[in-house]
Amino acid sequence: MSRRFGDLVAVRDVSFRIERGEVVGFLGPNGAGKTTTMRILTGFLPASEGSVKIAGHSLDSEGIAARRAIGYLPETPPLYPEMRVDGYLRYVAAIQDVPRRERSARVERVLSGCGLREVRHRVIRTLSKGFRQRVGLAQAIVHEPKVLVLDEPTSGLDPVQVREIRNLIRTLAEEEGRTVILSTHVLPEVEAVCRRVLLIADGSIRVDGSLEEVRGADTLEAVFLREAVRGEASPGPGEAGEGGDFA
Amino acid sequence: MRHIGVIAAREVRSLFVTPAAYVLLAGYAVLAGYFFFVGLGFFVQRLQQVQQMQMFDYLQQMNLNSEVIGPSFGSFSVILVFLIPLITMRTFAEERVNGTFELLLTSPLSTWEIVLGKYLGVLGPILAIVAISACYPALLLLYGNPEILQTLAGLLGLFCYGATLGAIGCFASALTQNQIVAAVVAMIVGLMLYLLEFLAQLTPPGAGQELIRYLGLSSHFQPALEGVVRTQDLVYYAIVVTFLLTVMRTAIESLRWR
Repeated sequence: MSRRFGDLVAVRDVSFRIERGEVVGFLGPNGAGKTTTMRILTGFLPASEGSVKIAGHSLDSEGIAARRAIGYLPETPPLYPEMRVDGYLRYVAAIQDVPRRERSARVERVLSGCGLREVRHRVIRTLSKGFRQRVGLAQAIVHEPKVLVLDEPTSGLDPVQVREIRNLIRTLAEEEGRTVILSTHVLPEVEAVCRRVLLIADGSIRVDGSLEEVRGADTLEAVFLREAVRGEASPGPGEAGEGGDFA
Repeated sequence: MRHIGVIAAREVRSLFVTPAAYVLLAGYAVLAGYFFFVGLGFFVQRLQQVQQMQMFDYLQQMNLNSEVIGPSFGSFSVILVFLIPLITMRTFAEERVNGTFELLLTSPLSTWEIVLGKYLGVLGPILAIVAISACYPALLLLYGNPEILQTLAGLLGLFCYGATLGAIGCFASALTQNQIVAAVVAMIVGLMLYLLEFLAQLTPPGAGQELIRYLGLSSHFQPALEGVVRTQDLVYYAIVVTFLLTVMRTAIESLRWR
């Protein structure tokens, strides 16, 4: 698929296939097209060219079935600040087509799974960033989707919470057989949870392979730095690397 | 279509957990009450004058509906031009700021379900406004004998009129992320539609005048104040609301392309 915004090509001929139960780390520098790609995958943005199939359903012709198969945690968790945690999750379960009889059980399940029991009656506005992130993850999995799309799921969390979320993602993939695509710039995260790596830079896929293949003899960081810079028109000194010069 | 109720219910609940809804409704109750009791005061004064001058023929013609309730509802309708945009301004604009619009658009919902759910959610507080408006004529039942059916016709008119303003407000909210912009746009459009009657009066009689008069809100609202429910007015409201909901749907679909 490709996606243009006016003259800007945000995503250029990106193409990949992910098997059931795979956990894929979606890497790339800021502005590489990660979020745009995820928005296309989830049906939020249409692709300018190309097509997407989710769990066998085409986003174009069977949009509703395809969207039902997806759980999506955007970069900013989509929360209603004035709602209570449990009320919010019940609402999401309802619009995600969870049958009425099962809603309470599903909500209870994600409340436990995401460590939200103690805040279930709290108003979302009063929650800390870590809890909001977990509520965001809970809404993405409450309808038990086949495919999970997580845009930087651990950003803003402390190290303990990061570990909990990673464990949760591993459980979802390994024990429940869900497919997970997660974007991040935290490289150790990829090494901790993902078996496959997709590296996108400047709107195109640069690397696609299993973690071992991609790493080879190098560290993942070396691969990232090499691929993120490659092909940029004229990378000035320090322009491409993280924390380079601030001029 | 089964999600419409879920979306509408959330909309209403979210509105009524904020103090804003209560401030708006209480403010309306105060303003509407002021208009109503001032109108009633003038009516009583005039009644006394007419009695003193012993104009019994004229006394026979005076009645609560045409001299107190109708004109009050007319005043209420002016308040609503400014009040309803304050209720509708958040519908879509707030979703976009919260990022919850992404949740709605990536859920298995059709755009129609989103639009209708939101709009029904707005009709909730508009019904509350009509209920508040009904309290004042209801008080008159204690002291006089207003025509109940004529009053109900006025309330129905007020609701249809409010529902039209609600659709204008939702549409304005679908166009922007900024709630103030949404409210101001809705107020201006609502006020223009309300005041189109003046332009009609300036226009030479003919098809043009009739068209301008037909497009304006007041020509459809006035008959209801006199207790007349006309099919042509109900058709007007239905056409305007349907049109606005359709363009709202298009506006939301087009958001995906930006």
